Amino acid sequence: MNLEFKKSITWMRENLFSSIPSSILTVATSFFVLGFFRGLFGFAMASDKDWLSVLNNMQLYMVQAYPEEDFIRVWISVGLALVFAGMSIGLWKSTEESSLSEVFSKFLRVSLAFLFFTVVAPTFSSVTDNDGIIQTEESFPMETRLQLLIPSAILVVVFFLLKNVKLNYKFNKSDLLCFYLAIPIVLLWIIKLPTIQLDSSNQRIIPDPLMPIADTTKTPWTIIFGLFLAFYFIGSRFKDSKNMKRIMSISWVLLPLFIFSWIFKKPEIDLPTILGQDIPIFIGIFLIGALTITFINNPIVEKYFSIYLGVLIAITAIALFISIPILLKSALLLLVLFTIVIPAVSSSAKGKRNLIIVWGVSLFTLSVLIRGGSSDTQIIVQQQSIFGGFSLTWLLAIFGTYVSFPLGVLLALGRNSKLPIVRIVCTGIIELTRSVPYITWLFFASVTMAVFLPEGVNFELVVRVLMVTAFFSGAYFAENIRGGLQSIPKGQYEAADAIGMSPFQKTSLIVMPQALRAIIPTLVSSAITAFKDSSLVTIIGLIDFLTIGKVIIGTQSIPVNFVGHDRENLLFIAFFYWIFTFTLSRRSMKVEKRLGLGER
Amino acid sequence: MSKKAIVSLLILSMIAVACATEEEAVEEVAVEEEHDHSDESTLDEVIERGFLKCGISTGATGFSEQADDGSFGGFDVDFCYAVAAAVFGDYSKVEFKQLTSAERFTSLAAGEVDVLFRNTTWTQSRDTELGNDFGPTTYFDGQQLLGRKADGITESSTLADIDGLRVCTNAGTTTEKNITEGAGLAGATIELVTVEAFAEAVDKFIAGECDIITTDGSALVGRRAVNDALNDWVIFPTSPISKEPLGPTYRSNDSAWADVVNWTVYATIIADEYGVTSANVDSVDTDALPELGRLFGANDGELQTKMGLSADAFYNVIKQVGNYDQIYSRNLNPLGLFREGGANDRWTNGGLIYAPPAR
Repeated sequence: MNLEFKKSITWMRENLFSSIPSSILTVATSFFVLGFFRGLFGFAMASDKDWLSVLNNMQLYMVQAYPEEDFIRVWISVGLALVFAGMSIGLWKSTEESSLSEVFSKFLRVSLAFLFFTVVAPTFSSVTDNDGIIQTEESFPMETRLQLLIPSAILVVVFFLLKNVKLNYKFNKSDLLCFYLAIPIVLLWIIKLPTIQLDSSNQRIIPDPLMPIADTTKTPWTIIFGLFLAFYFIGSRFKDSKNMKRIMSISWVLLPLFIFSWIFKKPEIDLPTILGQDIPIFIGIFLIGALTITFINNPIVEKYFSIYLGVLIAITAIALFISIPILLKSALLLLVLFTIVIPAVSSSAKGKRNLIIVWGVSLFTLSVLIRGGSSDTQIIVQQQSIFGGFSLTWLLAIFGTYVSFPLGVLLALGRNSKLPIVRIVCTGIIELTRSVPYITWLFFASVTMAVFLPEGVNFELVVRVLMVTAFFSGAYFAENIRGGLQSIPKGQYEAADAIGMSPFQKTSLIVMPQALRAIIPTLVSSAITAFKDSSLVTIIGLIDFLTIGKVIIGTQSIPVNFVGHDRENLLFIAFFYWIFTFTLSRRSMKVEKRLGLGER
Repeated sequence: MSKKAIVSLLILSMIAVACATEEEAVEEVAVEEEHDHSDESTLDEVIERGFLKCGISTGATGFSEQADDGSFGGFDVDFCYAVAAAVFGDYSKVEFKQLTSAERFTSLAAGEVDVLFRNTTWTQSRDTELGNDFGPTTYFDGQQLLGRKADGITESSTLADIDGLRVCTNAGTTTEKNITEGAGLAGATIELVTVEAFAEAVDKFIAGECDIITTDGSALVGRRAVNDALNDWVIFPTSPISKEPLGPTYRSNDSAWADVVNWTVYATIIADEYGVTSANVDSVDTDALPELGRLFGANDGELQTKMGLSADAFYNVIKQVGNYDQIYSRNLNPLGLFREGGANDRWTNGGLIYAPPAR
């Protein structure tokens, strides 16, 4: 005990008060942090705040008007994402271990922080009354403080003792993560929250009674968590399988697309279209690709391959502009991309067979996604789009990144190309897009394009916004990637040329992996920017996560009056965005560490 | 060399893909223009589509709100429901579009909505220059000011009394223009503080950063009731400083559709004049009240069928949504807005809510 105390004194002397300026800085910063916390806490606890305006509107925040009878689809979407997460944590299971005392010292730190902030929290909040006079009120009375202080003090002591008992158990860090995730699930079943209840004349019962969390919330979460655990164990069984990891990585790319086009959307599928249109297109295009793969080594085919490819590209380019099913357009495009790659891939019989399988699977996946994405939805909502609130924010962020990243890679490569036309076009696109503010592009999507477009399908405006977003963040991605490309020494290109690599191989095997690796931090910050910028769509009338809290909740008067409670909602929104962006940046730091960035 | 050509072709084709979607749009413009030239009324379009597209506000307390389960409600929303009930006999066949004030008219002009019930003031320029037509006013609003009793403001205060005070209002609206003009005429020098949204203005007012807030009277009354400040805050002057007649807006030169919207509103007013509500509409003696008989389609309802609606269209409106008074009290009474003695009272009581006869 005494030793521990001495150790911390020494630590403080060395790190916090090593010199007079650093002592001043330490004290000043502590005052600043303390003042910030006290201000925030006082604001949050003041009696004119109604935090139930946040809690009561969770459904609106997440899915806006998505109908309740189809909620199972929302839960399946969330569940799939978490099951995939569980599987991945298992597959890429950490090899690091923490000892029990490390775990307890983590708990100790958390409970110490809680204890500290409970002690320094202000007792009084200031509220401006209707006459404009600032009143102080006791918003955090002593009894409440004691009720929190005693248990947290006990926890501090318990964890301190446990930490110092030399228990030599070690836990895998991934197992521990699952254990930490179980804590909120358990809390769901035991805590009680104030809940809005209406009496017979539709008046709110005050004070709000404490109620357990609704079954419709905790049951799905518990089931999802159970599945998460199950898939975590399955994943950790396969943790040495390279193939499983590869399948998992591809599945992560496809999952959001599948969720948005099939699960969340509930597309209206009619059998005649599938039988009469989709299947023939699939078989036709598949056969063309498969035949090309099979006969690629035939001398005649080899001789005319460039002409064949040129014709194919020309046909595809024309096909894009005429009115044919969108599936045919995208299948042709995939065929072109595939045909370009074919000569670069090994020509053994086994390699060919594998390539045909890959070709078939990717074409099939594409067909399924396009069928779901281009069909009308069966979900009936009383507003323009089935996407609203967080589902819209998520859609914009995911699709914005998904479409714009490959676009950015292509634009960056094009800008570095030796062909003048390609270079000029790509530079033009990048500079034009970047020279105009994002808001202007949004207005372009909303107003200018709307005048040209006829009244279309359900989420026409969302699609238009996705288009401009893809170009806008694509241009920024392109410039980031160009920076990465320039960081690669010339020797790498020359070495690749020296061993006779084709331009395609050189780019995909030598240049891009190194370039992308060098710019992971910038890419993540671009992705975070795209996620946050999605809230700008509010100015063109799309109702995203931010707008729900800022505009809609602050005007609700029926059934419960939340008029004027927009500030607590804004605070909640800030916190919510922070959770996501912070997690993203922490994950990217882990990836950087794993790749050994900044250590060479 | 040929491989380079291939790579460049590939990139060109990618660019083509990116342009493809926009290209499609251009193709369809031609279709849209043809569409415009045909004399098809919005009414036919709406019936063909199977639901009404109604433009409402993103959020306006009492007028258009979205509840915690995503359902819509409010005074304007109820009139959208009424039009749907008239056209389809089913009030729920509406798709709402929440519009900001900046995009409402473009959205209407582009055909993204069939009708706006978006607390839009009927003004000369909007009626004549923007290609809109306005229907019967559903709510007579007017700009007023709100101040504190503690600052010496009383209900009989005028614009001359706000000399030297800080006035908060939301930027870029007619409210801003009205108060500047009004204060200038009254000889008062004010310090105008503009904020983005009315909610912010109220926050500033509460925090003491401005002495007066000004916007449409309905919003002021609502906020005063919510903040429980009936005795502390005063709304003045008694007769508003501007006229803000709010009502439906639709594209001009489409009388078939205009008739449907207008007479839906009139039907709710006529039903109110007779005291017919959704509760007692089934027990109306149509022989004793021939006007109601005609309106509810008792005698083949040829007045309605000639408009392109079903004979019982307005019966459905009253049955499913209610009369004017019901719509008003359901949405606005909880906010402290009452019809009695105001401009929105029945014409027989000295108000302005009046409908032409149904015959």
